[in-house]
Amino acid sequence: MRLIVVKRVKTSNLYYIGIPVLSILIGLVMSLLIFALIGVPPDLFIRGIASGFQSPQTLRYFALLVMLGVALTLSFRASIWNVGAEGQMIWGMIAGGYIALFVAAQSMYVSPGELANYASMPGVEVIDASPYAPVVSILLMDPSLGKLLMILFGMLAGGLWALIPAVLKAYLDIDEVATTLILNYVAYQLFSHIASYTLRGLSVQAKQFFRTDKANSALLFDLIRGTSVTIQDLVMAAVFFVAVILMYGYTTIGLRLKIIGSNPQLLRSVGVDERRYILLAMFLSGMLAGAAGVSIFASPGVGKLEKITNVVSPPTMNLGYIAILVSWLSMLDTRLVPIYAYIVASLFQGSSMLQLEINAISPGLLTGGALTYIPIGSILIVYVVLRILTDYSIRVRIR
Amino acid sequence: MKTQSLFSSKEELSFLRPIISVRNLWKRFPGVEALKNVSLDIFSGEIHAILGENGAGKSTLLKILYGIYVPDKGDLFFEDRKVVITSPRDAVKNGLVLVSQVPQLIDSLTVAENLSLSLRQFGYMSNVKKVSKFLSEKEKEYGVRIDPDVEVWKLSYTQKQLVEILRALLLDAKVIAFDEATTLLPQTEKEKLYEFMKTFKDKGGTVLLVTHKIPEAMEVSDRVTVLRKGEVIGTVKTSETTIDQIRYMMFGERLTQLNSYGYGKLSSWEGSETLTVRNLWVKSDYGVYAVRGVSFSVRKGEILGVAGVAGNGQLELIQALAGLRRVERGIIKLRINGSEINVTNKGSTLIRRLGIGYIPDEPVKKGVSLDNTIEENVAVHPKLSKFLISWRNVKSLASNLVREFSIVTPSTSAKAKVLSGGNLMKVLVARELTVSKLALVAYNPTRGLDEVSAHYVRRLIVNKAVNEGMCAVIASEDLDEIMEMSDVIVVMNSGSIVGVFKSGASREEIERVMVS
Repeated sequence: MRLIVVKRVKTSNLYYIGIPVLSILIGLVMSLLIFALIGVPPDLFIRGIASGFQSPQTLRYFALLVMLGVALTLSFRASIWNVGAEGQMIWGMIAGGYIALFVAAQSMYVSPGELANYASMPGVEVIDASPYAPVVSILLMDPSLGKLLMILFGMLAGGLWALIPAVLKAYLDIDEVATTLILNYVAYQLFSHIASYTLRGLSVQAKQFFRTDKANSALLFDLIRGTSVTIQDLVMAAVFFVAVILMYGYTTIGLRLKIIGSNPQLLRSVGVDERRYILLAMFLSGMLAGAAGVSIFASPGVGKLEKITNVVSPPTMNLGYIAILVSWLSMLDTRLVPIYAYIVASLFQGSSMLQLEINAISPGLLTGGALTYIPIGSILIVYVVLRILTDYSIRVRIR
Repeated sequence: MKTQSLFSSKEELSFLRPIISVRNLWKRFPGVEALKNVSLDIFSGEIHAILGENGAGKSTLLKILYGIYVPDKGDLFFEDRKVVITSPRDAVKNGLVLVSQVPQLIDSLTVAENLSLSLRQFGYMSNVKKVSKFLSEKEKEYGVRIDPDVEVWKLSYTQKQLVEILRALLLDAKVIAFDEATTLLPQTEKEKLYEFMKTFKDKGGTVLLVTHKIPEAMEVSDRVTVLRKGEVIGTVKTSETTIDQIRYMMFGERLTQLNSYGYGKLSSWEGSETLTVRNLWVKSDYGVYAVRGVSFSVRKGEILGVAGVAGNGQLELIQALAGLRRVERGIIKLRINGSEINVTNKGSTLIRRLGIGYIPDEPVKKGVSLDNTIEENVAVHPKLSKFLISWRNVKSLASNLVREFSIVTPSTSAKAKVLSGGNLMKVLVARELTVSKLALVAYNPTRGLDEVSAHYVRRLIVNKAVNEGMCAVIASEDLDEIMEMSDVIVVMNSGSIVGVFKSGASREEIERVMVS
């Protein structure tokens, strides 16, 4: 018996919609079976997943996944497989955090007796009211300007981090899948070091744990009531989405980023240095991921950089990886990113909620987020299998 | 023209047995009827040429025979048995092996390994040693010499094609189909291939030769079938026909167009050199000097032809002129409106912006993007769109090009991959001529085009030189093409210019310098 695998010359148009939808459905059925096997009743599973679609928390993941999905689609479409959004987000957090903690504001010790005076001054926030060594944060600039700087520098840092694998690919022909992935873990380690030592805070808590001070709350983004998403998250997601679509539709840069994915030799032959476009694709992709990193830092629930104790649950919540699924389900079509970002965000939120519920009923069962990723992972696997089956025809011959 | 049958009586046919018969074949692609009721017999032991211009349906027919496409209607017979062929494997089982223009080999493996791979694929017992033995046998039979232990990437293009042929022999082919397989070969190598075909025929094999070159068909084939727009125009015995008759069958009424393509080139442009090259040294991909101290200059409105046997530095010279290859030594200068600009190693974008068009080697691979629309393939050029693309302008430019070059396409927003090879080439040439305000540099500018289209493209280049003062440097492996277009012909041999000829020089003299 032998298998004959042939790449199909033409693929059906139907698969554009069919594959993503089928992947999600089959993936969910698979997860349902997996959960059933470990003793989770199907109705609980269904309720858990369904709740994700209505949860107000979902919006936050949605906004982040739109930014990240657009970012990854930018590079994937240029045939550059950036799986380094995690690291780029991390650098967005570090740069945004640095601006918030040291440029737009500054924390300092004050004598306990003066604390009350400081507390009543405008632009000053008490970070640590310890009776021995109280710490306040003083705004050094208008907070809107501060937020803007955080975003800009976060984007710059993410973009620069992405340039490392880009340069390696463009000029030394080193595969970017490996380098972007490895650099994620380098970024995690650097992040931990920077949070623990370089930028370690003054407050008692910061000294006790390995982390920076909390940023001045005036510099954090503005929550939309009843949700965990901020206005800035949604605005950035919308701006990036529209900007990238316009870039593809109406600029030579966009056109060349598309063409580099289908035939880089054409760029070279019309006199365009295609290596620069590899750099550009990665830089833009890293910038958007960096912005998502700033969003995470500036979320009112975070506002600090803290040592990563477990690389399985970094502050980026693995969204940089989950966004790969968003980009793939969108079939690398930027216009579809928001739709699948919403679905994936809901599934992610739904499975997190399911995990909490399961832990509550039977604490002994798998913990540590393991269950959260089952639906996402199942969909990813089904997607890959379906893509192989549609991109290639596979026949079995029995001799 | 009336379709004629050459085999008037049944008796004449009786000793010839069709090895492949095609009956009433139909194939439709979106927007085009590629094959219309095609019927055809290939007789055992003949060299059968299938001629037709680009888009006539030759490739489609061959791809159906080889199991790459499935016909919409119609039947195939191999040795009188009705067969259904759904993959190349089926075709090979029935004794048909295809040799295409692009060698299908794995570069990092040796010749013997490549060959044993195809055996394994088709389920024979195989080992590399057997293959080596087989090769030495075939060497005696056909005079084809290839070292079985050399890695494929070290082989020349001709040698790779020979490996493909050896593979066909190894697979016990009864019919070897050559799909434009000689197009990229230099003349002397073509001769070798023709010799092979004849030997193969003498040993009882059958050859199916798909080509758009009439002289080639006339030289080797026993019979010729002409396709036009998906229909069989007729099958004739080569010995009983003439080039003119075949041309009439291929082009029909368009032939009158062809005959009016006189050049009568009278360049009236006075003035200084537009493009000057002084003592140019350029390295090849392998790090050795491929261009060694070449100097020339081209005046406004002048066409310089670069002749030579392929691989003597012409390609590297053209790439250096286009800014795509580093100049190690020497100078390339342009003169624009009276001022001289040194463009040596200044980057290809600058050169393109100054108004130099470029037709690359392997044009379809390097010069167009199949997954993008015709409009996008036009807008990608730095000279044709600014940072913000005005799609309205691009669309009207693209429509003009489509009309002017009679490019056959459903619309300008169709993806390039729906176009036939010749039409793709036209898109590329059209785009590059549009941007060639100053000069055009080209390598095989009409490769892959049928005779009428090739003439048309050449005339457009010449016209642009005569009417607008564009100058051109054109390297081509086709000496006739160079002789047809050039004001001055230089011959390159081993990286240097070894001869300079005025237009009207004798072909024999040029050829002598090429190979000396």
